Amino acid sequence: MKALPPSPELRRRQGWALSRAACLPILLLLNACGGSNGNQPVNLKGGLPVGAVLSLTGNANVYGQDQKIGLELAQAALKPGSPLPLQLRIEDGGSDEAGATSAFNLLIKGGSAALIGPTLSQQAFAADPIAQRRGVAVLAPSNTATGIPELGSFISRVSAQSSVIAPLSIAKALELHPQIKRAAVFYAQDDAYSTAETTIFQKALTEKGLKPITVQRTQLNDQDFLNQITAALQLKPDLVVLSLQAVDGGNLIRQLRELGYKGTIVVGNGMNTPNIYPICQRACDGILIAQAYSPELPSAANRAFVASYKAKQGGAIPPQLTAQAYAAYQVIAEAAARLNQQQPLQGKSLRQVRLLLNKEILSGSYDTPLGRISFSPAGEVQQESFFVAQVRMNTDGRSGRFALLN
Amino acid sequence: MEVLAQLLINGLSVGAVYALFALGYTLVFSVLGVINFAHGALFTLGAYLTYLLLGGAVGSNGALAGLQLPLALPLWAALPLAGLGTAAASLVVEAVAFRPLRRRGAEPLLYLITSLGAGVILVNLIQLLMGAEAYALPGQLLGALPAVLALGDGLQIRTVQLLLLLVAALVMLLLSLWLNRSRAGKALQAVAEDATTARLLGINSGAMVQLAFALAGFLAGLAGGLVALSVSIAGPYFGISYGLKGLGVLVLGGLGSVPGAVLGGLIVGIAEACVPGNLSGYKDAVAFAFLFVVLLLRPQGLLGRRLVEKV
Repeated sequence: MKALPPSPELRRRQGWALSRAACLPILLLLNACGGSNGNQPVNLKGGLPVGAVLSLTGNANVYGQDQKIGLELAQAALKPGSPLPLQLRIEDGGSDEAGATSAFNLLIKGGSAALIGPTLSQQAFAADPIAQRRGVAVLAPSNTATGIPELGSFISRVSAQSSVIAPLSIAKALELHPQIKRAAVFYAQDDAYSTAETTIFQKALTEKGLKPITVQRTQLNDQDFLNQITAALQLKPDLVVLSLQAVDGGNLIRQLRELGYKGTIVVGNGMNTPNIYPICQRACDGILIAQAYSPELPSAANRAFVASYKAKQGGAIPPQLTAQAYAAYQVIAEAAARLNQQQPLQGKSLRQVRLLLNKEILSGSYDTPLGRISFSPAGEVQQESFFVAQVRMNTDGRSGRFALLN
Repeated sequence: MEVLAQLLINGLSVGAVYALFALGYTLVFSVLGVINFAHGALFTLGAYLTYLLLGGAVGSNGALAGLQLPLALPLWAALPLAGLGTAAASLVVEAVAFRPLRRRGAEPLLYLITSLGAGVILVNLIQLLMGAEAYALPGQLLGALPAVLALGDGLQIRTVQLLLLLVAALVMLLLSLWLNRSRAGKALQAVAEDATTARLLGINSGAMVQLAFALAGFLAGLAGGLVALSVSIAGPYFGISYGLKGLGVLVLGGLGSVPGAVLGGLIVGIAEACVPGNLSGYKDAVAFAFLFVVLLLRPQGLLGRRLVEKV
């Protein structure tokens, strides 16, 4: 006997049942991925969960790699023997806002008690408000743009802001070369750090009576700067001030020198990494930079850090980004240990731990490779020493060092 | 006048790179009618291969940390060898990301996704092996030549860019001669014109597709090596921005047109150079606005053919 075809009503019901059956695993999966809402007890198995969002891919990956080494060194130095070690989870935030925000979401849902990162200020402006809304402390190891701690009460940084550091290098350039009269400025207009820093540089120049004769705009992905350099050199500058990242800045310096510029060059924090050496090579020699970290700082904490870096990296000298990442880890580790000693965290809710940890971070004082640091109530780092260095390239033209200037 | 001439020189040297890059896109598009989005990754690979063949050592962050080839080749040998290595990689991309879909007669959109996937995998593989750090080509590659050549009246050009311009012009000339004079070149054009008819004429269209991929890979590798010589290797992602620009050049010149790719590259280079220095941050916007206007007036591109729909 031939079966009757199902009625439209039966087909509709079957459709619904099938749809619900198909959706069930997805809903279960979403529920599993949904993670913490903050009310459950903090999971201290293996240590206090802390996340780090670093630019390990994309254009800023040179910074992220430096930072990753810093976190690994801190973990190796501080985790063994700690009563409450940190359970560090590093996520790649790419080099854009979308990558950083999704990594923040992932780590917050995964139960992180605090976050380190993201690498770029541009990313921080997008990702930090997420952590602020969820009540998770963020400690930035490398965001120097104006306005980062102002993003909220849970946002702080160990990276001193450009407005404090940048003017020091201008002052040093004028001290070394008092004859300087004509300053040209270059900056990457599509980068929050660069645009923030160039404003500070330009203000510092104007205060010294050196209103920039030209301001040339570039983009982060630019590698060829002939047009901007040609335009600037026609105005005969004797000081060039750059707010660029390592790769584009290194290329610009090399092309600037090749095209005949012989004057002083001051660069900003984005080029505060040995990764510039292979790019601008001999042309790096002599550039001036203000730093929040000097490998030559004679403190015990810094000496131990430098020794561990050299042992890991074949004798190389640690860059600022590595030292700052180390310091960020150290701050959270020490704050967590202190907090746990005052009031054991076991059994407390994740929400509570996040809140208490943020308060503890901001209230402490830390002896880091950067020197002794503490925080303002708003989360801005209070650092004792800043430095101005000059790049000295070795005879091979491919390696060098940031030599501290007195 | 002097400023204008300098702009022209700057624009030509940048445009030559775009043209060389877009030629690779064009070759594949002309035979398959699809865009190979792995081309930017192949460009990057060419740059890294050139670095290694010149005797460069892998930095400390890659899985191959410290690796250095036992011999350091001169630039004139390293560039074409890197091109050949990239051509081999391009053939692998064809075999993995294109051939299986071609056999099934898949939609062109699927090629876009598979080639994009192949490109992303390749870039990540490079990062895994070589690390994320920037590399500059080792050695005094230009010998006793000065870094900048004065062309009189205050005009100057970086020696490396003049070299880039000359090599690009030579390669484009040779490619054009080969396509129009050689039997294989004519066979490739026949497949580009109509693969079915070419097959009926006894031309092995599969082999021609592979030839197009190999040539495109060679050009990408060569362009990557030359750009690395000029501006260093900014990391595994440095081919991406060239990929986007090359795509614009391809469309501007006319999809599948070899002379169009050359013309498009030079025009985009000069258009960028004409943007005033203090507005250079907007040069991409200017270049693509120009592209937009041209396509409004001439949708088939500057030298592309208008497709007539037959019923």
